[in-house]
Amino acid sequence: MSSRKKILLKVIILGDSGVGKTSLMNQYVNKKFSASYKATIGADFLTKEVLVDDRLVTMQLWDTAGQERFQSLGVAFYRGADCCVLVYDVNNAKSFDTLDSWRDEFLIQASPMDPESFPFVVLGNKVDVGEDKRVVSGKRAMAFCQGKGGIPYFETSAKEAVNVEQAFEVIARNALAQEESQDFNPDFPETIPINIGEQNQGCNC
Amino acid sequence: MSSSTEPQVEDATREPPSPPSPTASFYDMSDDEEGGYSTIRHSKSGKGVKLLYTKSKVYVHPSPSARDNIPGYVAVMQQKPARDLIASPPTSPGSSSSVGRRAEINSLLLAWVPEKSLGEANTIYTKVESNDSGEPPKQSHLVPAPPVTTSHSSSVGAYAFAIPVTDIFSILVRPPNTGWWFGSIVINTRAGDSFPALFFHDSECQSTIDQRKKLQRENFSISGEDGEGMFWGGDEVIRWLKKFVTVERSSQEPSVYLIEPSESDRVGFGSAGKPTPDKVRNVLEGKHKDDPAQPRKGSVNDGDPVMKALKQARWSFLEKMSQVTTFTRRTAQAVAENKNLPPQVRRLMQDPQVQTVSDEFDSARLYLARWAMGIAEQSERERSQRIWTAKDMLEMEETGVGEFEVLDMEAQDLSLMDKRKPVTVEEWNGYFNVGTGVLEKTPDEVKDRIFHGGLDPDDSVRKEAWLFILGVYEWTSTKQERHAKMNSLRDEYIRLKGAWWERMLDEQGTLEEREWWKEQKMRIEKDVHRTDRHIPLFAGEDIPHPDPDSPFAEAGTNVHLEQMKDMLLTYNEYNRDLGYVQGMSDLLAPIYAIEQDDAVAFWGFVKFMERMERNFLRDQSGMRLQLVTLDQLCQLLDPKLYDHLQKVDSTNFFFFFRMLLVWFKREFSFPDILRLYETLWTDYLSSNFHLFIAMAILEKHRNVIIDHLKGFDEVLKYVNELSGTIDLPSTLIRAEALFRRFQRTVEAIDRKSSFPGMPKPELRQRLPVPPPTSPGVDGRPRRASQAATGSSAGASASGRAPTVGDHVAAGIGAQKEKVVTPELRALLSREVPKLDKQEVKDHGGGVGA
Repeated sequence: MSSRKKILLKVIILGDSGVGKTSLMNQYVNKKFSASYKATIGADFLTKEVLVDDRLVTMQLWDTAGQERFQSLGVAFYRGADCCVLVYDVNNAKSFDTLDSWRDEFLIQASPMDPESFPFVVLGNKVDVGEDKRVVSGKRAMAFCQGKGGIPYFETSAKEAVNVEQAFEVIARNALAQEESQDFNPDFPETIPINIGEQNQGCNC
Repeated sequence: MSSSTEPQVEDATREPPSPPSPTASFYDMSDDEEGGYSTIRHSKSGKGVKLLYTKSKVYVHPSPSARDNIPGYVAVMQQKPARDLIASPPTSPGSSSSVGRRAEINSLLLAWVPEKSLGEANTIYTKVESNDSGEPPKQSHLVPAPPVTTSHSSSVGAYAFAIPVTDIFSILVRPPNTGWWFGSIVINTRAGDSFPALFFHDSECQSTIDQRKKLQRENFSISGEDGEGMFWGGDEVIRWLKKFVTVERSSQEPSVYLIEPSESDRVGFGSAGKPTPDKVRNVLEGKHKDDPAQPRKGSVNDGDPVMKALKQARWSFLEKMSQVTTFTRRTAQAVAENKNLPPQVRRLMQDPQVQTVSDEFDSARLYLARWAMGIAEQSERERSQRIWTAKDMLEMEETGVGEFEVLDMEAQDLSLMDKRKPVTVEEWNGYFNVGTGVLEKTPDEVKDRIFHGGLDPDDSVRKEAWLFILGVYEWTSTKQERHAKMNSLRDEYIRLKGAWWERMLDEQGTLEEREWWKEQKMRIEKDVHRTDRHIPLFAGEDIPHPDPDSPFAEAGTNVHLEQMKDMLLTYNEYNRDLGYVQGMSDLLAPIYAIEQDDAVAFWGFVKFMERMERNFLRDQSGMRLQLVTLDQLCQLLDPKLYDHLQKVDSTNFFFFFRMLLVWFKREFSFPDILRLYETLWTDYLSSNFHLFIAMAILEKHRNVIIDHLKGFDEVLKYVNELSGTIDLPSTLIRAEALFRRFQRTVEAIDRKSSFPGMPKPELRQRLPVPPPTSPGVDGRPRRASQAATGSSAGASASGRAPTVGDHVAAGIGAQKEKVVTPELRALLSREVPKLDKQEVKDHGGGVGA
């Protein structure tokens, strides 16, 4: 009866302000939706225990402020991330257009060992609003995800709990795979990405 | 009863550490040979007491960090009884003669020995542990005696201890909860002392694993003694003790096991009757107040025992609290309905999130930490209903919080108590000349009143007074001047509003500019619809949305939300170098709620933003500066806490980002925010008084943070979840006390550094305008518009990135010399640090003119 080290998966949720990051997280963790979430300031996280292939893991889901200027101070919690969730609003073209820069920004700040294989998941949220309001087609989003090396893509509604569970299951699975691939990679001491991160921060000063 | 063993104990503790020890089993020796021999000694050669039962992988957690955990053995030992030597293994209590039994019990020790200190005895421990007969081994296994003690003093954990079983009053037992915590026990002695909690790391302990297997084989169950939950190490300890002494589980506190309880103990804990706060406290304290043998610590006990327990601030306290937690979970419903509980505890009990915790991110610790804080707060509330005595104040002082200083000040000058009454509209009107409307008091006198008393929330005084403290009106103005000023401001507002309106209609400017405006409009729209909607003013959705394409078109809107949007877009026009940034809507809402006139509120907001601009720069330099200043302030005022924050990687103070960005808007209720903002706007003590508010909040929770939080994420979570639980009046008092302490510290450092030979000449500079100690003496208005260029305040406002040198210089540097950095010195200034226009242009992130 050896006690296996408990696994903590760190997931960062990014995307423009108001696309529903906080709502998605709360729908997944607390099974609740509220129309009256305030704009997130700073950062916060929720945790949830899930079973991935009979393995009990703890997901730590980090929610951040959407306005891009607030990202620079938050590098502290990007470190050691196992998966990055990019969220856009299917009814807001701009929020889709910025996905690429959110992805780039994350890769720069978090400096994962192997940026090519780092797991991302894209969520197109607010599909409940209605087709007449929708401006980003699923086709377009999937093309984007294909172009980035086959990022898993889900269309979700945090409000009506559509696809949320399914999306986070994939997020958990990919994050676990990432976490384990890092465990098997003793050539890279953990300090390397951290140092890079700090250098970046220094340059911003 | 306990007194019979005391001489022995004293012998033991007085003995020099390494007397010659018997080399063979002491059972081979005659009584004569031993003479006044006490078996309890430190012993190098390794023989001393008989090891009856033991269990490995029982840890002491001397600090919240898992790295510091010390593995050891818990054991029941038998020392040589003074008279009646019990040669045969002990039998159950009932079958022994009472004399024999007494002697046998007197010879028993419950001990904990760290693995490291075992040496050669290691094999004996392993052997005894693996004995699974349930009875003590037939053969005598002698091991070195750990030092016997009945009181647990200061240093937790590094050393072995052994407690005579007769001196144990109770054992608090917290069974493990898979994924929450290790099972643990806390030994409380009759002297009222608690030993450090012993944590049973069952999954590492071979004997527990074997015993579970055995139980499963024999009973098809791995339940423990009481049939509740899985069998664990602590069950085993209770079972051992039951073989020798009466162990009675308290019906009041199911996690308390009384050892050899007296009749009064039984009345207190054992049998029927409802738990009273007193009883709970007694359990917390590990003692029984009816016990005549209980040494009374005189009047010290008259103080709030919970408060006292809290002040011990050591790890075992957590265990005491956890005992309450267990108790509470079992009667969850009753407790949830208990109106006396601190609201955050009640809220927590109902929070499903409490269930979704795990080992890795040990929310259980957070949960307990909050519990501890909740109890402390309740105690504080009770306390504050009483008259403050000097002793109370001194106790407060010891906690490092220092409310005492302010309260002491007030005790000397009772008229100061009047200052804490809110300023009513009558009082306010009385400040001004009836004819001219010119202020007849000094601005400092008025600020003093508002700073200490606030403005009456129930009349209209804020509507006018805010315009003064925000700086829309000059303190020296006449009624007529103010009237004229407001008229021109209204005109200007209409002009600005028209400007962006046209911009929208005509699609003026470059493509980039048009894009920016579109985005900003969207941003404002989104944020206004989620700003303070719980306030009745902003709650309604009674008019159709003017823009059918808005995502909020279906929900509808109300006139106040539309005014909010207009004001923010107008601000976006007014300050294009910066533009609207998330968080600004939070700052505008209180002003609008008070003024309820868009033009008036707009200019109030503009003035507020003059000081808040630095929070919203694209490069975040202003926020960084404030976080660094907070870092330095913490180093100076509370090095111990700082030390801990450093250990847990939290000295970026990012966990205060939200509080500083929007001035605690998300932490306090709306009415409290109104009071807080007017206090901060006065700049009465410091234009950066919000940093002292932050320190006050941090200080309040320092013990909990130091004791329980061991990672950046835990600190962030804990601090985020303070939202809605912070008491404003006491926070204001604490912040003031902290400011005064800071001021004195700086003065003391300056006095010291003005001696010759000090290396840092710039530290000898005069303080920039220290606030007057007797307010209202100088009485001259400090014009907020005077940009403090060149002064230290100006330098700090420039957002200069602090160097590593600054950090080193700030606190307990190499020579433990406290140094006042420019950032800290700026805290003594009452000049509002403002950015110059160029700064905003360069770093604002807007589109510019």
